[in-house]
Amino acid sequence: MKLASLSRSFLRSATVAVLALTATACANRPADSDAAYEVNDPLEVPNRFVFAANEAVDVLALRPAAEVYVGLVPDPVRDAIHNFIDNLMSPLYIANNLLQGNFEGAQFATGRFLTNTVLGAGGLADVATAAGIPERPEDFGQTLAVWGVGDGPYLVLPLLGPSNLRDAAGYGVDTVADPVRIWAYAHDGQGLMMARAGVSAVDRRSEVLKSVDDLRRNSLDFYATVRSLHQQQRRADIANKPGGGPEFPDFGTAPKP
Amino acid sequence: MLTRRLFVACAALLAVSSWAGRPLLSPAFAQNADPGAGAFIQKLGNDAIATFSDKSTPRDQALVKFRTLLNQGFDVPYIGRWVLGRYWNQATEAQQAEYQKLFEQLIVTTYAERFIEYSGETFRIAGTAPEGETDTMVTTQIVRPNGPPINVSWRVRKKGADYKIIDMVVENVSMGVTQRQEFASVVQQNGGKVDGLIQALRQKVGRAG
Repeated sequence: MKLASLSRSFLRSATVAVLALTATACANRPADSDAAYEVNDPLEVPNRFVFAANEAVDVLALRPAAEVYVGLVPDPVRDAIHNFIDNLMSPLYIANNLLQGNFEGAQFATGRFLTNTVLGAGGLADVATAAGIPERPEDFGQTLAVWGVGDGPYLVLPLLGPSNLRDAAGYGVDTVADPVRIWAYAHDGQGLMMARAGVSAVDRRSEVLKSVDDLRRNSLDFYATVRSLHQQQRRADIANKPGGGPEFPDFGTAPKP
Repeated sequence: MLTRRLFVACAALLAVSSWAGRPLLSPAFAQNADPGAGAFIQKLGNDAIATFSDKSTPRDQALVKFRTLLNQGFDVPYIGRWVLGRYWNQATEAQQAEYQKLFEQLIVTTYAERFIEYSGETFRIAGTAPEGETDTMVTTQIVRPNGPPINVSWRVRKKGADYKIIDMVVENVSMGVTQRQEFASVVQQNGGKVDGLIQALRQKVGRAG
């Protein structure tokens, strides 16, 4: 059974590799016009509404929880929790790498998973990063992008935050395929899933406490800043390298003082 | 049972090969990159650390020093104009002038605090590579006393004999692009008028002086 599905995914990824090559060849868009900096956000009004609601949840609940978490739980324990949660996501990263036809990525993700599970006490210690194999999440939204699916409109999801139509669909697939979820539902562990979702949210929020405060304080339009950050980061994640830089034309003689 | 063993073997193979293949991944940097750009970033970074690790400097003096370093290292007027994008040409000369002044103040209020609160970060140059036709991208790794290191790349352009930074890319996010999209959004929220942005900038920098 497992072998069958494994070889099937190998076959599939070979097809995908071909598809991906054609897709990237077509994806070279010019970056000189202002259009390159436009964001596809036709739902801006409802998005801003959900964004404001998420902000309220963050200010009232998530941010305080993250602060308490940082204040009460010592660094090494927080690291261990972070590593443990991330390690359990590894099967998804491996599968998505294979689906993208990225064998090297699959090798790294598998190497991370086995190294951390065996040498890192079941995933509590991130030995792999120390050995030079850093974490690199791959989700199904990225897989769809590699297959040539466009972003679709920008979406701000309730509680989950910035996304787009493609990534929201990808998130659904990842959630359903998540081995931890499958195991938990088979063993009556819905409470465990809730706990993981909560801890994971607080963990991720606790890592950006200061940066988000800074951004909020310094932005003229926080919604637009977050939208821009999210889009740029997503592009780099999909390409697995820094995005092609924008064009910086020479304005000739220095503009007026 | 056989299939399970095969599965484990495949997984082990994948894992082992990830270790073996690792050195192949290191990127080939430094082809045709301008070595002066790397030296420029190194010096600017050293100057910044030397300036802000001295905690006895009073705040307003540190602010003056930050401003000097900023204008020494960055082509602020160029960045300001680039960030405004197509709205630059729609603005009158008076608006352009006021915008540029406010933009410089915004950068100072945004970043000065982070530098003045310097708490032992160090950096090392991870590589330099040519970028576009005229520029050099200098990649640095900022090592923090707590928390994982941050990758920051500096887009450097040679202007006469001087080097100037024209963009800064933090973990794949270009500060220039972010600011450009934010400003465009503010202008659009104000009915496509540059005055709306200038008003918002005035409010923002007015508070912090």
